[in-house]
Amino acid sequence: MSKNLLKIVAMAVLGASVASAGFAGNADNRVSSSRYVPTIWVDPDGCEHWVMDDGAEGYMTPHVTREGIPVCRRGNTCAVMNSDQLFAVDKWHVSATNRTRLKAFFRDSGASVYLIDGHTDSDASDAYNMRLSKNRAMAIANIAQSVGAKAQARWYGERVPVASNSTRAGKSKNRRVEIQCIR
Amino acid sequence: MTFMKATSVALLAISVAGCDVPKQNKTVDNFIDSKHLSQLKAGIWVDPNGCDHWIIDDGVEGYLSARMDQNGKPVCSGVAQPNTAAGGYKSGSPVADVI
Repeated sequence: MSKNLLKIVAMAVLGASVASAGFAGNADNRVSSSRYVPTIWVDPDGCEHWVMDDGAEGYMTPHVTREGIPVCRRGNTCAVMNSDQLFAVDKWHVSATNRTRLKAFFRDSGASVYLIDGHTDSDASDAYNMRLSKNRAMAIANIAQSVGAKAQARWYGERVPVASNSTRAGKSKNRRVEIQCIR
Repeated sequence: MTFMKATSVALLAISVAGCDVPKQNKTVDNFIDSKHLSQLKAGIWVDPNGCDHWIIDDGVEGYLSARMDQNGKPVCSGVAQPNTAAGGYKSGSPVADVI
């Protein structure tokens, strides 16, 4: 009698574990949830955020792609400079003429901060290109700071191309310093 | 008892304002300061690292979301000191903060 009871209990436990395994292993693999559909708020920079009003609570988070790139309706890029016109191959020294031009740009553009993004083509290794784009972006940021502008250097090496690296023209387009003017 | 009454009146007021309880449509503010959420007015909150976040005080609701550049890196504009908020982030709603 007690053996039978034990069997029943064991079967019930087994049944439960099978059921939960079935739930965990279903196609969606999701927990139970309630419906929360957001709308979009566009910030003054032009980038989208998910937003929800749940009565007395408000929720907001940036809208980014699965790759982590913000979804923006416009960018703040205010200058794209071809690296060939700024630097010698593999170098990050800025000539006196270009330095004067850049100083005037940073003095006159009136942004609250300049974001200086360095990019390269895909020649040489990824690590080399990260280093080169860092040195170039920092050289430009230093010029901005020399006239009292706020500037921050960022670098992406060959990882954010804007054109194909399989043609000469494409490669030339990818060798660039982009400046974002944040108001 | 009086408290219960007051509470139920308050709840009724909210449900009348909303007519959507529990709230299904999360994309609108149904309170006295009703609006679609795309109309929110933001200011900037500067975090302890000096980086910017959009801050919105919309009456009863508060919102905070990171300010990022087009590559997904934080924007640290230096527009205000760390641990401060600036701009018209309370300007989008006539509902005052009780505390």
